[in-house]
Amino acid sequence: MITVQHLTKRFGAHVAVDDLSFEVGAGEVLGFLGPNGAGKTTTMRMVTGYLPPSRGSVSIDGRDLLRHPIEAKRRLGYLPETPPLYPELTIRQFLNFVADIKDVPKSRRRPAVDRAIDRASLREVADKRISTLSKGFKQRVGLAQAIVHEPAVLILDEPTSSLDPKQRVEVRDLIAALKGEHTVVLSTHILPEVSQVTDRVVIINRGRVMAIDSPDNLSQRLRGKEEVIVEVGGATAAEVREALTSVPGVDRVQAEDLAPGVIAARVGSALGTDVRGDVARALSARWQLLALRTESLSLEEIFLKLTGDDGQGAETRDQRPETGAVEGA
Amino acid sequence: MARERRPETRDQRPALWRAPDVRHVLAIAKRELRSYFVSPIAYAALTTFSLLSGFFFSNMLTSYVRQASLADGQIERLGRSPLQLDVPTIVLAEFFKNEGFILLLVLPLLTMGLLTDERRKGTLELLLTSPIRPIELTLGKFTGAMALVTAMFSLTLPFYYFLAQGGDWEPGIVLAGYVGLLLLAAAEVSIGLFISSLSENMLVSALGTYGVLVAFYFVDTSASVTRSIWVDFIQFLSFYFHNAEFARGVMALRDVTFFAGLIAMGLFLTQRSIEAIRFKRS
Repeated sequence: MITVQHLTKRFGAHVAVDDLSFEVGAGEVLGFLGPNGAGKTTTMRMVTGYLPPSRGSVSIDGRDLLRHPIEAKRRLGYLPETPPLYPELTIRQFLNFVADIKDVPKSRRRPAVDRAIDRASLREVADKRISTLSKGFKQRVGLAQAIVHEPAVLILDEPTSSLDPKQRVEVRDLIAALKGEHTVVLSTHILPEVSQVTDRVVIINRGRVMAIDSPDNLSQRLRGKEEVIVEVGGATAAEVREALTSVPGVDRVQAEDLAPGVIAARVGSALGTDVRGDVARALSARWQLLALRTESLSLEEIFLKLTGDDGQGAETRDQRPETGAVEGA
Repeated sequence: MARERRPETRDQRPALWRAPDVRHVLAIAKRELRSYFVSPIAYAALTTFSLLSGFFFSNMLTSYVRQASLADGQIERLGRSPLQLDVPTIVLAEFFKNEGFILLLVLPLLTMGLLTDERRKGTLELLLTSPIRPIELTLGKFTGAMALVTAMFSLTLPFYYFLAQGGDWEPGIVLAGYVGLLLLAAAEVSIGLFISSLSENMLVSALGTYGVLVAFYFVDTSASVTRSIWVDFIQFLSFYFHNAEFARGVMALRDVTFFAGLIAMGLFLTQRSIEAIRFKRS
């Protein structure tokens, strides 16, 4: 549905987005994850045709955004970071206007606007001036604006970043409800959001893609091996270590005192093996097994791993051509 | 520094010869007009314009009527009039010249927000990611502002009732006067619209527009009494000069062409400027 190829944006010597390529299939929700200043907004603006790229191409539903911008934009709904609203208009007036400029046929305008109002749960406030609304409501009007023409593709730039936790949940539910009807690309720096609503994640830092995969696969891939965490009562660390090392498949044990009489241990095994049953039997035979859980790397950790050291590397690489250009001039 | 390569934007380059979508133009004009009227802007503009117009109109009317009656008195004493006063014609000429000046005061405040505000609020991002072309946006804004200007002028129509009480008046002069005013206003709106596309600051837009419009309006005051080709040229650039021709009741092709040319230039520059905004560093 969306094909992005070698997308690059330079502002003078600064490279904001560097050779970005990705595809989003129909009905898929793609999360764009990165720290502030990573190039998320610049990417969104290029994908929506607001910002012309320095290099590369974007196609929306088979229409090249640079060659056929009108055709492509007709299939696109966009919620920028600050929702684009006319505060002096009522919600209904505003949505009528948006429907007009998005080529919703006159005969279908009324049902389209009603539908958008319903989807965004704005029925009770539909005839209120936008300036009188709270931030959460304004954000919903922003979403209603993006979906009023039932676009195939929906681009949402940090849709929840300025909201309080309650409003954040509401908007997130709304996005989850739009899933399936639209192909969605959303950017965020809030990690839980990504694992909750997206099928795939693009992790971006300093304008470069660090990883593209599903949230599960990402944590799987970075973990490298399986890990089980156990808590045992009535034993010493040495005894637990000994008992666990003798379990078949276990290749690494780390045990320590958690509290008086309670030992916590990390049990490592090769990827794809499941030692939980054997571990449980070995421990509960002699002591009290208080807890047993597998640990998967959280997105937070993945994110830090990917944007930490790699980011530094990207920076030094970026600066080299810059000096070269100055010398050449 | 390496120059940024701009990929072709093919749909938008030859936009000039593809007819603008009237529905888009009207949607933008309607939105603009609605925003004028739900905020106090339109009412402030309409009130100020009609109060100033009425003030100058009644001043002129009374002053010329007094002069005319003095002249009448002299006819009785001397048997002839020292000067022939055609009150309605003189008042109309002065009135339309004055309207041009009041317009100069009011218009920059109406055009300053046209695109500046869209840039400031971020709504330009909505407009430019919609399937509308820069020329449609330009024409829509222009139409919206001109609709408000037309409403302003329409408030001066009752004046002719009073003028009619004082004698005969020429509908032809009135028609020419309004055609002139509308052309003048359209030229000023298109220039103001262009300047409003250049900044994200309302004051900068307003001051820039005042600068350009006042210069155009009064440029002929710098022309000296000796006639030369340059004096003629400078005079030709003057808004006041062209508007005065219409105010006299003369609708000359030269004056119409002058304003039409400026309107076309302003709209063209605006359209190019909107496209250029996207290339700027944000």
